[in-house]
Amino acid sequence: MEFEHYLLHVLLALPLVGAIVVALQGPKRQTAVRRISLGVSLVIAFCSFILAGRFMALERPWTAPQKPTERISTTFQPEFVPGLKSTALHDAGTDWDLIPLGAGTVQFYLGVDGINLFLIVLTAVLFPPCVLISWNQVHERVNEFYAWLLALQTCVLGVFMAFDIVLFYVFFELSLVPLFFLIGIWGGPERRYAARKFFVYTLTGSLLTLLGIMGVVLAVYSRTHVLTFSIPELVVLVNQQLAIQDSESRAYWLSIQMVVFSLLVAGFAVKVPLVPFHTWLPLAHVEAPTAGSVDLAGLLLKIGVYGFLRLCIPLTPDVSLAWGLPLVTVLAVIGIIYGAFCAYAQDDVKKLIAYSSISHLGLCMAAVYSLTATGLAGGLFQMVNHGLSTGLLFLLIGMLYERYHTRMLQDYSGMATRLPLFGFCLMFAVLSSVGLPGLNGFVGEALCFFGIMEEETTYGGGPFFAVVALSGMVLGAWYLITMVRRLLFGPLKEPHHDGPAIPDMEPREWATFLPLAALCLLLGLYPHPFLATSQPDVDRLAHLADAARQRQQQDVQARR
Amino acid sequence: MNDLQNALLAGQFRYILPEIVLAVAATGIFIGGTFRSGRYLWSWAALGSLVASLFVLTITAGFVLPSGEAGRTATFSTPLLFDSLANFVRVLAIVAGILLVLFSWNEVPDRHAADYLACLLVIIGGVGLTACANDLVSLYLALELISIPTYILLYLPRHDDAAQEAALKYFLLSIFSSALLLFGFSYLYGLTGTTNIAAILHTLYGQGGGDMPAVAQIALITVVAGLGFRITAAPFHFYAPDVYQGAPTVGAALLASLPKLAGFIALLRVLGFVTPDGVLVPVAGRPHVLPGMALSDQVPILFWFLAAFTMSLGNLLAVLQDNLKRLLAYSSVAHAGYMLVALAAAPYLSERSSGSDGVHALLYYLVAYGVMTIGAFAVIAFLSTPERPVDNVEDLAGLSGSHPYVALMLAVFMFSLIGMPLTAGFTGKFLIFFGAMNVVGEQADLYRWLAVIGMLNAAVGGWYYLRIIAVMYLRTALRPIQGRRNVPGLVTLIVCAVLTIGLSIPPGANVLLDAVKNATGIKSTPSPIAQR
Repeated sequence: MEFEHYLLHVLLALPLVGAIVVALQGPKRQTAVRRISLGVSLVIAFCSFILAGRFMALERPWTAPQKPTERISTTFQPEFVPGLKSTALHDAGTDWDLIPLGAGTVQFYLGVDGINLFLIVLTAVLFPPCVLISWNQVHERVNEFYAWLLALQTCVLGVFMAFDIVLFYVFFELSLVPLFFLIGIWGGPERRYAARKFFVYTLTGSLLTLLGIMGVVLAVYSRTHVLTFSIPELVVLVNQQLAIQDSESRAYWLSIQMVVFSLLVAGFAVKVPLVPFHTWLPLAHVEAPTAGSVDLAGLLLKIGVYGFLRLCIPLTPDVSLAWGLPLVTVLAVIGIIYGAFCAYAQDDVKKLIAYSSISHLGLCMAAVYSLTATGLAGGLFQMVNHGLSTGLLFLLIGMLYERYHTRMLQDYSGMATRLPLFGFCLMFAVLSSVGLPGLNGFVGEALCFFGIMEEETTYGGGPFFAVVALSGMVLGAWYLITMVRRLLFGPLKEPHHDGPAIPDMEPREWATFLPLAALCLLLGLYPHPFLATSQPDVDRLAHLADAARQRQQQDVQARR
Repeated sequence: MNDLQNALLAGQFRYILPEIVLAVAATGIFIGGTFRSGRYLWSWAALGSLVASLFVLTITAGFVLPSGEAGRTATFSTPLLFDSLANFVRVLAIVAGILLVLFSWNEVPDRHAADYLACLLVIIGGVGLTACANDLVSLYLALELISIPTYILLYLPRHDDAAQEAALKYFLLSIFSSALLLFGFSYLYGLTGTTNIAAILHTLYGQGGGDMPAVAQIALITVVAGLGFRITAAPFHFYAPDVYQGAPTVGAALLASLPKLAGFIALLRVLGFVTPDGVLVPVAGRPHVLPGMALSDQVPILFWFLAAFTMSLGNLLAVLQDNLKRLLAYSSVAHAGYMLVALAAAPYLSERSSGSDGVHALLYYLVAYGVMTIGAFAVIAFLSTPERPVDNVEDLAGLSGSHPYVALMLAVFMFSLIGMPLTAGFTGKFLIFFGAMNVVGEQADLYRWLAVIGMLNAAVGGWYYLRIIAVMYLRTALRPIQGRRNVPGLVTLIVCAVLTIGLSIPPGANVLLDAVKNATGIKSTPSPIAQR
């Protein structure tokens, strides 16, 4: 086994070990706790870069399968899987069994492919800034804070890496616990209510998701007599079954997909959040400490979109196309507009950015649910973008709050003269978020629009949705630039503060800002490696959607 | 006939030696307690006898019944049946008993210690006998062996109004439920002409199930109602909150765990969810009957409604509670509802080997539920002192500051009760709902809806369990909890917490799942006659 195979263990275990070590330090040794956490998170980031480098060096060509039943081309091909390759159905399984259930086994099945690689890197990259930003913000129960932060990193990395459907769910659900404590203990005045609402809201959705997961596993079992929890294997088997031209089988799978789709969506839609299920988000964001907000916006919301990509689309392609596409697109587009207007109306900067997340994630979901290769690639790219730029925005607002202890827009004016370097950083983050050409947002948004435009539905909704989504982006520029104008420009109005003069950006803060900003710039100027690496896996998903399109057309013709 | 009876009794004695050990020890403690008081002495005695009983059980268990006609005849005539399910439940009961003795080590006043511990031993013996019962009469006697000491247990320690109300309420309702159960048993006898459960099931299955007379329905409903009292299924749960609140904490823990175990095992036996060898022999010309549907093919639908009603009611009412014990009482009702889901789905799962047969799931959940509930009660007892009682949720405020490790363990129990992954509660819920989703055919949609109802209930549960965690971690104490030195209490806590996590991950989960599977594959049926 080569050393790449250990990288995933290290990535997953290191934060957990770090969390335990940090927790055992006790609340008194604050500096030691902070240093250990920073060290651990930097090592993790370093490992993730090695992982990315190794993965991008792999040759992973993809060709459209000649037959719909061809395995390698129709399903995910995770690389660097720990354990021996033993599963008969596809060549990238593992033999790390956890719990046998009848004929099947829940496995400790991790892996990397083009879809999750950059989310893993994003997770690893976002954590050192989180540790740094909390350096002076958190003074109580410091060891617990960093322990939960690192535990959260394990859970999020686990969700992204898991290729066993039960393992995925385990990490998915466990990620609630650290964030519950992060919001509940170190949050704002409404923290207890916010933490409980966040937890129970997401729990409700994810419990239904669990039923959806069981539903698809059992449907495959009852039709093929293979009880498997491996996601790649399920995707192959489901799509083989879907390809069967038999009206009874077709009807069965349509009804099963309907059930599974609605159950899976219940959880993921809350997590994203799509519009009617978003009410927990602004509250949780406003009350969370800065590091919590960054993780929530940067990573936790991505888990929802990732769930759509990894499970919903490949396991229920027909219903995703027939119902999911119109439903999710409409909800997402409503979210774009609604989020934008809500954001404009906010005085609390953090709430503003929280609503902007709803708007941005709406674009992401609309692009993903265009079910075209371009849209899927754009959605994936936009996930990483949003993590970086919204993460930056939350970090900067956290710095401002640390100085003046207020986040209300009316308390500030003309701060650019007072904190010019901070003003530059904020401007940079805002421009990255609104999609200025040359920065990452532009590439992602452009791809998303092309994807939505390409969307081939029977009723030709693509261009219409694209126009609405585009107007949403104009609105995005409107509210974010308005925020910048009120905050940075105009006559100077500094909130009251005691003590010495407020310093501008400190070295520690530069260290939080620069790496993320550099990534924004890199992705904006040279997105090709990113897109090329995720290409094969995005094409697989698009291929599954195309197969569903063909089936839909056949059904329509058969009805005529 | 007389010879046979003698032989039976003589042979049976060997197998109920574990229970006999407990009964003898209980008698000794009852008598000894009149001469010497002192909880440590009698706690050691009780602990010793439980361990001895476990030891005897490991020796006497493990005989294998030769298959064939001889084995069947034996099954149809013995009042007690020592199959692997019985042994599994007996081990469970004894382990629970050891935990409860440790739990009560410093909780029971010296004056009552001997009586309390003796009653506990009798109850454990009763649960063991319930698990072995193969006859309506022995089943009823075994169940009463659980009930009668419970009355004493509830009445013993305190004489305030709440305790008296609890004892009286439990007494009256328990008697009522026993009467209902007997009434149902009399119908069963009338239907089949025998009191032997294996023979009753054989007769009923032989009749094909579908065209049963109406009296079978009455028998079914009264039996379920009578046993529903013990498993706190709604609407037979009314005593639970008052009794748990009025009873001493250790009594509440006992009531929440052991009668539930006994009640579910009795349901499994009487309704034929598990059947001894030879009962389900297909009869020519008769339709194949699914397990659990011996009395009526309405059994699943009955349990469907019972489950939906029980879990919804339990969870909704638990949200309104401030008192910890009342909250745990309603939570116990809610969890009975989840377990009933397993029973509702069980008949349809017998032929689908997906790894989650309804009965497996039920047994796993019973273990998980027992561990986390005893653990939760143990925390309350551990923290309560007469000067600073822990009665309400608010009393736990700031626990993470004063007792970080106890708070962590209570959080583990609460997360397990919610059903978060990496706890036994999750694995249990997973198995149960995996079963419910696994039902195919016409009923599939019905059970999917039941699973959805169950998951929504689990989410409601999240709200009130999380409240306890929130109080411990997110608030500071108004009056700090003192707590006291209580090593056995702490041991109980730690054992429960370790089991709660350990039973959900390998290798613990695999061990328990294998044990559960062995328990329901009723292959080894040692029987006195066969041994002779």
